[in-house]
Amino acid sequence: MIEAALGKKRPLTDREIWIMAGLILLLPFVLPYKSLAAEILIYALGAVSFNILLGFTGMLSFGHGALFGTGAYMTGLLLIHLGWHPLVTLLCSCFIGAATALVIGFFSIRQVGIYFVMLTLAFNQLAFFIVYQWKGLTGGDDGLLYVPRPDLLIFPGVEIPIHTNLQFFFFVWVVFVLCIAVIRRILDSPFGRILMAVKENPDRARAIGYKIQHFKLAAFVISGFFTGLAGGLYALFMKMVPITAVELFTSTDFIIMSLLGGLGSLYGPIIGAVVVKVASEILSEIWARWLFALGLTFIVFVLFMRGGIWGLLSMAVEKFKAGSGSEERQ
Amino acid sequence: MILRTEHLTKHFGGLTAVNEVNLRVEEGQIHSVIGPNGAGKTTLFNMLTGEIPVSDGEIYFHEKKITGFQPHQIARARIGRSFQQTTLFTNLTVLENVRLAEHAHYSGHFSVMRHFLSFTRPVEKAWQVLEELDITDIATKKAGELPHGQQRTLEVALALAADPVLLLLDEPTSGMSPEDSVKMIRLLRKLGNRLTMVVIEHNMNLVMSISAVITVLHQGMVIASGNPSEIEKDEAVRKAYLGGHAK
Repeated sequence: MIEAALGKKRPLTDREIWIMAGLILLLPFVLPYKSLAAEILIYALGAVSFNILLGFTGMLSFGHGALFGTGAYMTGLLLIHLGWHPLVTLLCSCFIGAATALVIGFFSIRQVGIYFVMLTLAFNQLAFFIVYQWKGLTGGDDGLLYVPRPDLLIFPGVEIPIHTNLQFFFFVWVVFVLCIAVIRRILDSPFGRILMAVKENPDRARAIGYKIQHFKLAAFVISGFFTGLAGGLYALFMKMVPITAVELFTSTDFIIMSLLGGLGSLYGPIIGAVVVKVASEILSEIWARWLFALGLTFIVFVLFMRGGIWGLLSMAVEKFKAGSGSEERQ
Repeated sequence: MILRTEHLTKHFGGLTAVNEVNLRVEEGQIHSVIGPNGAGKTTLFNMLTGEIPVSDGEIYFHEKKITGFQPHQIARARIGRSFQQTTLFTNLTVLENVRLAEHAHYSGHFSVMRHFLSFTRPVEKAWQVLEELDITDIATKKAGELPHGQQRTLEVALALAADPVLLLLDEPTSGMSPEDSVKMIRLLRKLGNRLTMVVIEHNMNLVMSISAVITVLHQGMVIASGNPSEIEKDEAVRKAYLGGHAK
């Protein structure tokens, strides 16, 4: 009974995680270009991190472009100027993402609803203009060029190359699967459960004894940590940082991916990232106004399919289960 | 005295919703607060639970000043509350609703790498609450899918989590069918054996049958306070309920 009401205690990795890992491992082999697979995973990580806020805490942030962007510039700048180990620069991207989230979150969570949304949006614009103006450091409009992608030195003499698209994909895949396992554990922790309570009913969460501002801020920082990491990976992937990384469009990309894929689930945004990125690659070649189709799809999903693609899939699975169940009974 | 207010006052702009209320709640009693619509009952309640700041006056719990406490601090001080409008975690199961309320009183809120089920005490305690309220059979149902009567019971269950010593209930029978109300009255009487309660109510049957003390509010002021038979006879109370200026 208790298990039915609360769910099973899941280990850090289980069949679910490995199935997901296996499925995305197929990506470079079914997609038209190998490079697209790594890009999808990077955006998927950003979207999943974004969804920690929207899907699991109930906060719609338009500021995730700023988190992604600072992460990207951090890794880019450290690799160009200091030549640090990529894993170290990625860790720095995590922390700059978390720190940026702390600042944006600190001011934004004081507000709720539309005011919260507008504040995060304003912070994103602020970040964009700082990057745009600070040409000496960031390259401004041209972006940060010539970011190297050195091999990964594991210990002296042993280096893992991440030079080709496929090698780099495997590297991103390892980081991605690790992050998803950790994020799933965070959502399964007492902390994650409290986030869901905050999303469901902030007033009641307060009334039963939780200081919800602390939880909202912590969620923001955790989300920023992983979004920063995604940004760092993006710099390595592109071998440069385009200024679009820090633009509002990056924020909206995450929102669209999460909504299309499904907010209620950890895996929804991953599906959303695959669909949006693949569609943009394929459709943009045959139709210059493909964004129109994306917008239309988006509207249909928001109006009629709130559960997103993940919701549709789980509904289909349930129907199938129910159907086969009734056949057995007959 | 478990709960005491001194000259508790709330102004909303020019309107004084609660005016110099001195409430005295004795330990172990069921104390009801009644009054016509707009008498200031819910405002009084929201000040006691920290939802809104007080304009003037003080609140003491066990003779310790709790004026200005935030809602979560009130909860941590072991004062449980229910809401007049059912306020649940609708997409979560009944047991998870209560477990969350229990866990608020244990450590580990920010331990992000442990599974929530490895904290077994809140789960056990939540189950005990369901047993006490006799709702273990709906433990796996989502709170939002329950019929109204059961939602009201869950509302009380959330207030009961983590062993409060004082329970503040805002219209526990609001919107309930007569049968469900009878069940709720039985439940409140049972809980009254072991804890102190302050109950806001419209339902006169309930008030008269369970209260040790009744305080009557009218236009933000206390116009009477006493046991049910005293209140029944009170002239000012009759006037207030008959509509202000009745003869």
